Amino acid sequence: MGDEVRSNLKYTDSHEWIKVDDKIAKVGITDHAQSELTDIVFVELPEIGKEIKKGEELCVVESVKSVSEIYAPVSGKIANINKKLEDAPETINESPYDEGWLVEIEVKNESELKSLLDADAYKKMI
Amino acid sequence: MLIQSPLNPLQKKLGAKFIEFAGFEMPIQYSSIKDEHLTVRRKVGLFDVSHMSNVWITGNDAEKLISLTTVEDASRIKDCMSQYTAILKEDGTVIDDTIFMHLGNKYMIIPNAGMAETVTKWLNKKAEEHNICATAENVSKDYVILAIQGPKSRDTLQKLTEINLKTVGFFGCQYIELAGVNCIISHTGYTGELGYELQITPTNLAEELFQKILDAGKEYGIKPIGLGARDTLRLEKGFILAGNEFKGGRTPLEAIMSWTINWDHNFIGKEALLKQKEKGDYERLTSLICIDKGIPRPNCEIKKDGKKVGTITSGTLSPCLNVGIAMGYVHPDFREKDSILEIQIRDKLVKANVVKPPIVPKDWAIQN
Repeated sequence: MGDEVRSNLKYTDSHEWIKVDDKIAKVGITDHAQSELTDIVFVELPEIGKEIKKGEELCVVESVKSVSEIYAPVSGKIANINKKLEDAPETINESPYDEGWLVEIEVKNESELKSLLDADAYKKMI
Repeated sequence: MLIQSPLNPLQKKLGAKFIEFAGFEMPIQYSSIKDEHLTVRRKVGLFDVSHMSNVWITGNDAEKLISLTTVEDASRIKDCMSQYTAILKEDGTVIDDTIFMHLGNKYMIIPNAGMAETVTKWLNKKAEEHNICATAENVSKDYVILAIQGPKSRDTLQKLTEINLKTVGFFGCQYIELAGVNCIISHTGYTGELGYELQITPTNLAEELFQKILDAGKEYGIKPIGLGARDTLRLEKGFILAGNEFKGGRTPLEAIMSWTINWDHNFIGKEALLKQKEKGDYERLTSLICIDKGIPRPNCEIKKDGKKVGTITSGTLSPCLNVGIAMGYVHPDFREKDSILEIQIRDKLVKANVVKPPIVPKDWAIQN
C-alpha cells in the first residue's frame, strides 16, 4: 500500500492528482501523499463558487501531527466539494483516487493542463 | 549533524518513520499515531526516548545542589525515590523541567532533549558560586532510555526480572536486572498510564533488551511507539512539553506547576515567584476541548468575544476523544472551568471549552 499511480490521471509535483472531464477537473491527493500523511483526521474544504488560481491554497488536510496545504492544480471556480470528507476524513486514506476526492473545479484555462505531470513522470518523482 | 539513537538500525527494520527533534533523529511513528496511541491506552507500548538527557550529580553536597537549583527540597526525597521538578533562573522562569532520581549517594537527573549541556553548566556554575561540594556530569551519550507504558507494562517487564515489580512504588527507582541487563528502572512515565522508564548503559546492550521486551509483550499486543503518539498521549493528560509550554520564558506558576514547588526551602527563583504570586495577574496554562470541528495548533490565538485573551502552545486531535484538544496560556479572568473560548484556526473561530486536566480521564480505556 502507498504508491499506486493511475495511468488515466495527471499529477502535480506537490502530490495532487487531477482528472478532467468536459471542463470539470476532479482533484484529490495521491496514494503516495495519503500514505506519507497517515491518519487524515481533518479536512477544510473551500466554499462552492470560490474562484481560485493555479498554485493557490485549495484546501487543508490535517493528520494528527501535521497540517498540509493542498494547492490548486488549475485555475477556475469551485464547482463541487466532497462533503463526505467533513465527517469521514479517513476516506482519503482508504480511497484516495475514488471516494476520497476533494473538489471539482470548473477549468478556466485548458492550456494550464499541459504543465501537469503524466503518470510516468510522477512515478519517477516519488 | 543529527544524533541517532543506538537503536536506529533496529527501528528502521521495524518500519519507523523518522523526524528531527532537538538535534536527534528519532522515530515519529511506526504504524500510525492513532494506532500507537490507542495501543498504549489499552495494552502496552515501548518507546525509545534516548533524546532525553542523563546527568549525574555527585559529591558530598549533591542533595544541597538539587535543593538550591530546583523547586524541590531534595532532603524530602528518600533513597530509591524520584521526583518531578523544575530548574529556574533567578527571574523565576523555567530553564528545564526534569525528573531526579535519588540513587544511594548520588542523583541522576533527566533533562529534556538538547538541554544536557545547558543544565550541566548551570548546575556546576551554581555549585561554584554557592561553595557547594557537588559536580554535575553530562553522561547522555552513555545511556539509552526506554519507556514501557500501558496497562500491560508491568506484566510485560515482570517476565524479564526476579524482582517483584509491585514493590517498586509510584515514582520509585532502583537498579534492576532485566533479561540479564543491569539498568535503572523507575515507575514513571509521560503517558498517564501504568508505566516504567529504563536507563541502560552501556548502550550496546539496549538493542537486545528492546527486542526482548517486544517478545515478552507480544502476548499483550505490545508495539513500538514513536514520538508522535508520545506527544498526543501527554497532551491528553495535560502534561507539559518543555519546548512548547516553556517557550519564551514561563514560570512554574504560569505553567500550573505550583504543586511541585516546595516553598519551605530556599531555591533560585523563589523571590521572583513570590512576587509574581502576590501580583497574581499572570497568564496561566489552560486545557481546552474543542466544541466545533477543527484542530488547534501552536501559536493559534485564543479569543473571547473576538478579543485576544491567550495563545495555544500545544494542540492536536485527541485519538481517544476524536476532537481537537489543546493547551495554551490564557489571561486569568477568562479561564474558569466550563467557560467557552474561541480558537482562531486559519480564518475560522472554533469554540472550545475550558477543562481541568487530565483531558482524558484515567479510566478511559476501561469505559471505552
